[in-house]
Amino acid sequence: MNASALEVSDLRFAYPDGTLALREVSFRVSPGEAVGIVGANGAGKSTLLLHLNGCLAPQRGSIHIAGEQLDSASLKSVRRRVGLVFQDPDDQLFMPSVEEDVAFGPLQAGLPMEEVERRVVGALQEVGLLHCRTRPPYRLSAGEKRAAALASVLALSPSVLVMDEPSTHLDPRARRRLIELLGALAQTRLIATHDLELVVEVCSRVLVLSEGRIVADGPTRSVLNDEPLMLAHGLERPHILQHHHPHRD
Amino acid sequence: MHMADALVSPAVGGTLWAASAALTFYSARAVRRQAREALIPLMGVMGAFVFAAQMINVAIPGTGSSGHLGGGLMLAILLGPQAAFLVMASILAVQALFFADGGLLALGCNIFNLGFFGAFVAYPLVYRPVAGDGASAKRCSLAALLASIVALQLGALGVVIETVASGITELRFSTFALLMQPIHLAVGVIEGLATAAVIAFVRRARPEVLLVVPWPVSRGSNRLLFGGLLAATLLVGGVLSWFASSHPDGLEWSIFKLTGGEELALPDDSLHQQLASLQERSAVLPDYSFQSAEAEAEADEAQAWPAVSAGTTVSGMVGGALTLCLACAIGFILRWQGSSRRAAG
Amino acid sequence: MRAESRWLELGQMDDAARMDSAVHRLDPRAKILVTLAFLVVVMSFSRYTLSALTPLLFYPLVLIALSRVPLLPLARKLVWAAPFALLVGAFNPLFDREPMLHLGGWTISGGWISFANIGIRFILTVSAALVLIATTGMHRLCAGMERLAVPRVLVAQMLFLYRYLFVVSGEGSRMVRAAQLRAGASALSLRVYGTLVGMLLLRSLDRAERVHQAMLARGFEGSLRRLDAHSFGWREAAFVLGWLSFFAVARVWNLATLLGSAAMRAGG
Repeated sequence: MNASALEVSDLRFAYPDGTLALREVSFRVSPGEAVGIVGANGAGKSTLLLHLNGCLAPQRGSIHIAGEQLDSASLKSVRRRVGLVFQDPDDQLFMPSVEEDVAFGPLQAGLPMEEVERRVVGALQEVGLLHCRTRPPYRLSAGEKRAAALASVLALSPSVLVMDEPSTHLDPRARRRLIELLGALAQTRLIATHDLELVVEVCSRVLVLSEGRIVADGPTRSVLNDEPLMLAHGLERPHILQHHHPHRD
Repeated sequence: MHMADALVSPAVGGTLWAASAALTFYSARAVRRQAREALIPLMGVMGAFVFAAQMINVAIPGTGSSGHLGGGLMLAILLGPQAAFLVMASILAVQALFFADGGLLALGCNIFNLGFFGAFVAYPLVYRPVAGDGASAKRCSLAALLASIVALQLGALGVVIETVASGITELRFSTFALLMQPIHLAVGVIEGLATAAVIAFVRRARPEVLLVVPWPVSRGSNRLLFGGLLAATLLVGGVLSWFASSHPDGLEWSIFKLTGGEELALPDDSLHQQLASLQERSAVLPDYSFQSAEAEAEADEAQAWPAVSAGTTVSGMVGGALTLCLACAIGFILRWQGSSRRAAG
Repeated sequence: MRAESRWLELGQMDDAARMDSAVHRLDPRAKILVTLAFLVVVMSFSRYTLSALTPLLFYPLVLIALSRVPLLPLARKLVWAAPFALLVGAFNPLFDREPMLHLGGWTISGGWISFANIGIRFILTVSAALVLIATTGMHRLCAGMERLAVPRVLVAQMLFLYRYLFVVSGEGSRMVRAAQLRAGASALSLRVYGTLVGMLLLRSLDRAERVHQAMLARGFEGSLRRLDAHSFGWREAAFVLGWLSFFAVARVWNLATLLGSAAMRAGG
C-alpha cells in the first residue's frame, strides 16, 4: 500500500442537482508513473481531478496520497504534495505577473524569501520561461501560459501532478514542447485529456472513464487500440496507433 | 458621470475622501466579518465583469439612443452592499488611474456618488423592498428600474452639490441641477432597463445566484460603527471648512459650503453666491498683483486693474511661458541624457 | 471602437510600468505620498491663478523624463479625459463677465481666466495620476497601498479586478462580435443584451469559482502574501522631501512671476 503514490478507492460523488458524477472509482498509481485519463465530455474527468487535492470532498470512498488519507486534517499537506494544473491557465494565473504567480504557492506555504526566489527561478527554468518572469499573464502566448501555469504548480515541488486538458488551444509547436516537457518530468503524473496522441506519447498507462465509472485500466497502447471499447465510450482509436512508426517502436 | 479633479476644491475633495475612506473601512470590516474567503476572487472577477459590461451598449427601443449597465446596483444584488461598495471603489480607482476618468482628488467624490448611493441607498431602500423575495419577475424588473433611477438621481445631485460647493465653476446650483437631473433621469432609465434585462436572464438561467446576499450582518454593532464613521466624516468636513474660513488668503480654499449644502438648494440664493464670488475674487488679487495694489483693487476694481495689469500680469505671462519652456527643456535634457547613457552602457 | 482601443491603452500603461528606471524602482509609497501632496497643492491655488501654477508642471515632466515612459500615450489620455471638465468650465466665461485683466486693447473677464485655470489644473492633476500609474504599475501600487494601511480586502480584490479585466473583457468583446455579426447593429436590443450580458455574468461567476479553487489548490488560506522587494530608504526620503519642498516653494512664491520680472529686467 505504501508503494503507491496515489490510491483512490470506491470514490463516489453526486452534484447537488442529483447528477451522479463518479461511482465506485478505484485505482492506484505508482510513483513516477504517467497515467492518462480519457473519456467523453461529462464522463467525470474534471470531477475526479478536483477530488485529488481536496477541492471537492469525497461523499463516499477514500483517497490516499503516499499512504496518507486525504481529510480535513491532512488537507494542507496534501495540497502541497499534489499539484493541480487547471484547464484554463487564466484561472490559474491570477497574480499580476508570472513571477508573482509562481511565487504564490511557496509564499502561502510560508517559505523564507530566499527559498521562494530559488523555487521561482527553478520552476521557470524547468519550463523554459525564465525570460518571461516579469510579464503579466495577458502578455503570454497560449503555450507560455500553459508553461507558466505548470511552473506555478512545480514551484511547490509536488510529488504528484494532476493536469486537466493540458494541450487545448495550443498550436502544434507549443503542443510538441508541452509533450516533451511532460515526458521529461519526474513526478507522478495524471493527465486528463481528449488528446489521445498526447496520452500515447507521454503515458504508459491509461484509464477510460465513462459515466462516472472506470471502464478500462491498462497499458496505453493496448487500451487505446481496442477500437470497439473506444467507440463505445465516445472516443476513437488514435491515428498514431493506426499505422506503424518505425522510430517510435 | 465622473467628477473631475479640476472642478473640486480641496475642502470638498477632502471631505468626500474622508467619507469614502470611512465607508471603505466599514465595508472592508463587514466583508472580513462575513469570512467568505471565496468572496475576494469573486469580487475581483465581478469588478472585471462590470468593467467589461460597461463597454457593451444596449439600444433603447424607440429613442435611437444607447446606454449600458451602471454596475453598482448589479454588484449589490450579487455581492451585498458592502462588497459592492468596495468593488465600485476599485473600479473607479482603476478608471481614475488608467483612463484619467475623474482623477485622484475627485475619486472620493466619485466613490461616494457612484458607490454609496447605489450600494447603501438604492439597493437596501429601493431594490430590496420592491423586489421582495424575488419571486416575481415583474417586481424584480421594476425594482431594478426604480433603484437605478434613484441611484443616478442622487449621484447626479452629488455631482451638482460638490461642484457648486467647490466654487471653481461659475455654474449656479439651480442651473447646473436643471441641466444634470433630467439627463440623469434618462441615464437612470437606460441603466435600469439594462440591469433589469440582465437580472431577468439570470433569474431564468440560474436563479440561485440572485439569492445569496448576506445582508444585514449583525445589525446593531454595524449601525453603531456606521454612525461613528459618519460622525467622523462630519468632523473632518467641519475642521476642513473651519480651516478654509480661517485661512482665506493663505490657502484660498474657495467657497467651502458643504455644511450649508441645504442652503444652496434654494434657487433664490444666487445673489448670496454672487456676493461671495465677488468677495472671493477680491481676496484672490494678491496672487496677481503687487501687495500694495491690493487695497486699491478692493477700493475700486475697475480703476485699479490697469495699474495692476501693467506690472504683474505681463511678468506673470512672460514668466509662465518661460517656465513652460524651461520645464520642457529640462525634460528633454533628462531624457536625452538617460537615453545616451543607456546607449553608452 | 473606443472600448477596444481602451484595452490597448491599458496594456501600454502596463508596459510603461514594467520599464526600469530610478523612478520605477522607488518604493511605491514614496510616489503615492508625493502624488497626493502634489494634488493638494494644485487644488489649493485659487481659481484665478494661472502663472503660479505653471512651475508645478515640472513635477510630471521631470518624472516622465527620468522614467523615460513614452509621452504620447499619456498625452492622448489627457485629451480624451478633457471633455467633462472643460464642458463644465466653459460656463465660466458665460456667467463671470467681470473684467479682470486689461492687456493692450483687450479686456479679459474673470470667467476666461478661471476657465484657463481649470484647464491647467486638469493637465496637472491628470498627468500626475497618469505618471504615478505609468511608473508604478497596478501591482506595485497595490503593494504600496497595502503598506499605507488601505484595507487588505480592498487591495486584494483590486488585484483580481485588474488581472481579470483583460480576460473578462476579451470574453465580452468576442460575444458582442458574434452577436453583431448576426444582428448587424452596433448596439444590441434589450433582449439580446440581457442574454449576452447575463451569460457573461454567469461565466464570470464560474470563473471566480475556478480561480478560488486554483488558489485553494496552491495553499491559499485567506490572506494574500506577496513578493515585495521595496523598502523606504534614503532615496525615497530624498524623493519625498525634495518634491515636498519644491511644492512648498512653488505654493508660497509665484516662481513664474519672479522669473518673468527677472527676465524682463535683464532684457531691458
